Amino acid sequence: MAVLTADRPKTAARAPKRPRRFSPVLLAFVLVPLVVEGFWVFWPALQGFYLALTNWDGVSAPTFVGAGNFAEMFSDDIFKTAALDTVIWLVLFGGLSAVGGLALATLLQKERRGVGFYRAALFTPVVFSLVATSLIWQVSYQPDGVVNKVLGAVGLGSWQHAWLADPKTALYAVLVPALWRQLGYVMVLYLAGLKGIDPALYEAAKLDGATAWQQFRNVTWPQLRSVNSVVLSVIIIDSLRSFDVIWSMTKGGPYHSSEVLSTYMYATAFQSLRLGYASALAVVIFVLAFGVIVTYLVRAFREDS
Amino acid sequence: MTSAGLSRRRFLRNASLAGLGAVGSGSFLAACATSANTGPVKQAAGAVTVQSNLSSPEAKKAIEALAKAFGAKGGATATVNTVASETFRTQLPSYLTAATPPDTYTWYPGSLLSGYARKGLLLDVGDVWQTMGDYSAAFRALSGDGAGHQVFVPTSYYWWGFFYRKSNFAKWGVRPPTNWTEFLALCETVKGKGIAPIGLGAGGTTPWTASAWFDYLNIRINGAPFHRELLAGKRRFDDPRVKKIFDPWRQALPYFDPNGTAIAFQDATTVLLQGRTGMVLTGTFFADAAPKDALGDLDFFQFPILDPAVPVAEEGPTDGFFASARTPHVAEVKEWFKYVATAEAQELYIKNSSGTVLPTNPTAKDNGTPLVQKGRKMLADAKEITQFFNRDSSDALQPTADAALIRFIQKPTELDSILSDWQTAAQKVWQS
Repeated sequence: MAVLTADRPKTAARAPKRPRRFSPVLLAFVLVPLVVEGFWVFWPALQGFYLALTNWDGVSAPTFVGAGNFAEMFSDDIFKTAALDTVIWLVLFGGLSAVGGLALATLLQKERRGVGFYRAALFTPVVFSLVATSLIWQVSYQPDGVVNKVLGAVGLGSWQHAWLADPKTALYAVLVPALWRQLGYVMVLYLAGLKGIDPALYEAAKLDGATAWQQFRNVTWPQLRSVNSVVLSVIIIDSLRSFDVIWSMTKGGPYHSSEVLSTYMYATAFQSLRLGYASALAVVIFVLAFGVIVTYLVRAFREDS
Repeated sequence: MTSAGLSRRRFLRNASLAGLGAVGSGSFLAACATSANTGPVKQAAGAVTVQSNLSSPEAKKAIEALAKAFGAKGGATATVNTVASETFRTQLPSYLTAATPPDTYTWYPGSLLSGYARKGLLLDVGDVWQTMGDYSAAFRALSGDGAGHQVFVPTSYYWWGFFYRKSNFAKWGVRPPTNWTEFLALCETVKGKGIAPIGLGAGGTTPWTASAWFDYLNIRINGAPFHRELLAGKRRFDDPRVKKIFDPWRQALPYFDPNGTAIAFQDATTVLLQGRTGMVLTGTFFADAAPKDALGDLDFFQFPILDPAVPVAEEGPTDGFFASARTPHVAEVKEWFKYVATAEAQELYIKNSSGTVLPTNPTAKDNGTPLVQKGRKMLADAKEITQFFNRDSSDALQPTADAALIRFIQKPTELDSILSDWQTAAQKVWQS
């Protein structure tokens, strides 16, 4: 107590300095981005929430329908397909890119001759635009494209297929180029994480006679915790917004078989011009992404502290 | 912040569209940054801005030549602003509701046109029509808003048919059919030669080509008036009369290229020209992608008659211009419209484009090839002209047709559920 009271005059003495901390320049640096952000990010987002409660064709004034758009989703079969496909996409795209990226990173982490070449090669797809990527893959998936030719050449002619035209395979065929691109990205994130692990930990583990698996399980994995939360956030966001690759390859077809929430939202908004219902879909996507990530991060940080 | 740069109304609209993107995608800033740039274009002082979706090289060249010739006449000038078709279509509501919109737009008549006209967004160009001479009554009716105003100026149209290579038909020893039985026999013969008789090109991002089959079977069996009522939402897709048109389609299905729903329309054109399919039901626009040396070898025949009692209708999609009601350049826009409606302007356009479109001005000459003469005669002889699925209905209804028709081609046995699903999907579009 005594210490506290003794301190007080000091703080009071410092008080005149305060205005300098909030100098106009500093204020501007905080407030201008805040205003810009509010203007271009928060306000439009709020508008999106408002539009979700209306019917709007993009031209006339929106009419308020309350939760009508959300109620409609329960009886909308295409929404159910899109939601299911989104979950499949989240699990496969997210799961495979995380597992694959980690595997590649562990494989390529040791400095060996030529390892840089493999890292660069695996990272290259990340550089290409996903639309360009999907156009190339679209050609490969053609009935007389590379994929079918290779299958024929290795004696798997019976597997030849119109990959993007068959509702059974369209979603998975689109998944491959997305994954092909995402793997290198996740690999780089994990490589950065692996580089940050203190080699002394491995030396200690080796002295204790730990096998490679035990080293991974007890040293690498716990040390990667912070990278994992970054990777998880990235892949959830990326898989929920996986739009370009699907739109440029199949537009969600044939008959909605490769429809995910993001393509359905776009088609509803800009093809059917039902901007209210599309906004409601956007809200669902937002809640999914935000909900999953916040839940995970809150838990992760709580464990950390 | 000048009033021209950022009006509140326009800002609200862009901002809310941006909001839609922002909420949906994870990348909030990216979504906003792109949306912020998609507002209306800047106006060159005095010049009429022609917002054009004619982005294929030849059509782009042709409309630019048109604008140049217009400027050279003295008086008003025009600047062409070419926008990718998909962007153009999705941005059209934003353009038209902006405070400073582009002045005039390439578009087509149909439900979207009358929809915008009803909302008062389109310029009444009735006085332009006064100067246009003896345009046919069909074009006049097509360009109206349904309430007695003319809001559209048609400049060109084209026809659909079964296109084939003359040399290949000669090689296979077949002749164009005149009725459905002959058509199926022709398919059988071609199939016997190991060739897929009917190409489609409804794969990738062009599933809409399948709608041509739906349109033609419906106007051949149920007639054009029923077809229009159906597409306007006055009939149901699960109507027994609609169901009936899938019977002849089912007869033709075994002759469809098995890759028909796997390859896009551009690839279907290539496959046809290479002689790997026998024929394709398409519009003349496909010639834009054909090499010049193949053009002379192309011919077409009319979609076979199925019921002689039904008056013959043909698809003759029309293109032209409309203008924003808020244009600050009313006089200049009307001058532009009067110009594009002249025979001189339409001949100039045809000369600069791939040349397979027909002029709407009755005194304008087409490019004169036998193919074009034949197409023009077919449309002139038709009792009724339809546009195309999305033009007679709406762009919003097109995806419902795509889903239904591709599913029918792949799974013809599921017709009943296909049609009821289609009706459900279409109802949502009509109600919104």
